[in-house]
Amino acid sequence: MTSTELLRTEHLTRHFKIGGVLSRRTLHAVDDVSFSIGEREIVALAGESGSGKSTIARVLARVYQPTSGQVYFQGKPLSAFRSRRDGLRYASLVPMVFQDPFASMNPVFRVQHGILRILKLHRPDLPASQRLDEAARVFSVVGLGTDMLQRFPYELSGGQRQRVGFAQALAMRPKLILADEPVSMLDVSIRIGLLNLMAKLRDEEGVSVLYITHDIASARYVADRLIVMYAGQIAECGPIEDVLSTPKHPYTQLLLSAVPDPMAPLSQVADRGEPPKVVDPAPGCRFRWRCPLAIETCAQVTPVLAELAPGHDAACHVAQAGAGQVKAFS
Amino acid sequence: MSEAHEILEVSGLSVDYVLDQHDVRAVDDVSFTVGRGEFLGIVGESGCGKSTLLFAVAQLLAPPARVAAGSVRFEGTNLVGLTDKQLSAIRWRDLSVVMQSAMNALNPVKSIGAQFKDALQAHGKPSRQEIAARSAEVLRMVGIDPVHLKSYPHQLSGGMRQRSMIAMAMLFTPDLIIMDEPTSALDVVAQRALMMQIKELQQTYGFAVIFVTHDMSLISHFSDRLMVMYAGQIDELGATRAIFDRPLHPYTQGLLEAFPSIHGPRVPLKGIPGSPPDLAAIPAGCRFHPRCPHAVERCTVTAPDLYPLDGDLVRCLRRQDGSLPEPNQEGSLSR
Repeated sequence: MTSTELLRTEHLTRHFKIGGVLSRRTLHAVDDVSFSIGEREIVALAGESGSGKSTIARVLARVYQPTSGQVYFQGKPLSAFRSRRDGLRYASLVPMVFQDPFASMNPVFRVQHGILRILKLHRPDLPASQRLDEAARVFSVVGLGTDMLQRFPYELSGGQRQRVGFAQALAMRPKLILADEPVSMLDVSIRIGLLNLMAKLRDEEGVSVLYITHDIASARYVADRLIVMYAGQIAECGPIEDVLSTPKHPYTQLLLSAVPDPMAPLSQVADRGEPPKVVDPAPGCRFRWRCPLAIETCAQVTPVLAELAPGHDAACHVAQAGAGQVKAFS
Repeated sequence: MSEAHEILEVSGLSVDYVLDQHDVRAVDDVSFTVGRGEFLGIVGESGCGKSTLLFAVAQLLAPPARVAAGSVRFEGTNLVGLTDKQLSAIRWRDLSVVMQSAMNALNPVKSIGAQFKDALQAHGKPSRQEIAARSAEVLRMVGIDPVHLKSYPHQLSGGMRQRSMIAMAMLFTPDLIIMDEPTSALDVVAQRALMMQIKELQQTYGFAVIFVTHDMSLISHFSDRLMVMYAGQIDELGATRAIFDRPLHPYTQGLLEAFPSIHGPRVPLKGIPGSPPDLAAIPAGCRFHPRCPHAVERCTVTAPDLYPLDGDLVRCLRRQDGSLPEPNQEGSLSR
């Protein structure tokens, strides 16, 4: 990687107990996930629902504690944070933008309320007299007029609300924004504007973004690197153009073949798209039931990520054995 | 297509939401037909009236919404004004609806089989064997093992729930199935699989489909004709392929250019500036003019008519008089 590392996870694992009080069953939401995010980098985290994308975001936002494994931010482990000050500082450096712009704002306050509180809490260096100016500045960065500060959330469209979400994150002078499906609830005609905003924040404000999405095309539009999740594990990761042009993992290939493309002939996908349940999984590849290439090893040994091309890793026995290109779905 | 082959004929349909201060017209003078076995796609952004239109066609509108004008002729009968009793004879037997969220449409405390039984008993007195046989048959049609007749909705995955909704819609092999974004809660792989399934069933059993979605690219390979709605009106209506190859309305062009592609060079996209209009405050003239890159002064004054061009219908003043610039092929989906 060219840029310096900002955040790194090592063998990050998060399990949830499910069922009744006496139940011993565990849901493996995230299992042994290691990746890193560099400075000024947009990393897309893609996968189907239930693949653990949002759990990762919540662990990174310190909403959940990891079951095992560690997250390092600027080289420091998150578990070492003890004081409220450490927590606040981290929260301001790594804010989150939520999926639903209609549920993530307090409807009884003007838009400026949230952003002024953020400035008060997270920017103690900033004199109270300058808070409104700073709020106006971040609003103009995200493409909102200053008059928007005086509005109530119900007066704003979905796209404008989501821009407010980014403005609030930006007011904290973040290093990394965790964006969990920030555009999926918006109309198609205004999604691009938000994606362009994320690229602008990276290019002009030097902010990194973890862009969580199930939309590969939008990930390609904006991201530098792509991490494909399957059933709580990383199936494949690498520079986004490499992953999309030469996908190594059969699941990535399946995912790409299913993306609707009006200009390409219709590809036949036999797969039904049933996501796996990861309750008390036995060893082995979690994709093997859907994989046309599965071999005996896949049922016994859990594949781990291995570098198959520069910076481009995949967790697949077949791809790792046959150094050449495997093609499960086209 | 000749008159006899059209199973649905919507003409001049307008739907109002009756509110305290003033009425809001959510669907404004919409006319279209659906042929037997045809797949019609309806595309538009949220608030463009597409779901209201579907509800009006299926006569499912509840106050404050009401049909203000127009007719919905289904197999020769005008559904507007029919009583619930008259409608229930038609509903599900000849015309069925698949809703957006199967989790909300299915009864969570009844097994799939019990819900199928309910629907079957609403139109006749089938024996237990007949119910069991037909229920198992429709589940098999959508690729679900009939053991799931005993399952409850929460025991099925999202894709299976949508499939069982479609199975339920096919209990009587209706002539028309109306689908309101049935795939929007699904992942891409499940979405594609479901679309293939719908198309396959349609070809086998010959029912017509009205499919509402906000994602144009999803239905590009599946629909015969496409209707693009904006602010309660039809902006463009024509053959799907023709619209993708040569979108006539600036809004359609904008929609097509708002989708990034996973192939070809990475090009910067602009999307459509602004946001869809509030139906309570519709702009004068062409409803799209505040967001239209090609708008000129008369667009702000004169409301354009739906105008036939090359077999399609389009609502654009500048397209009508030929002064609209052709879309820039570089920036569009072609590569």
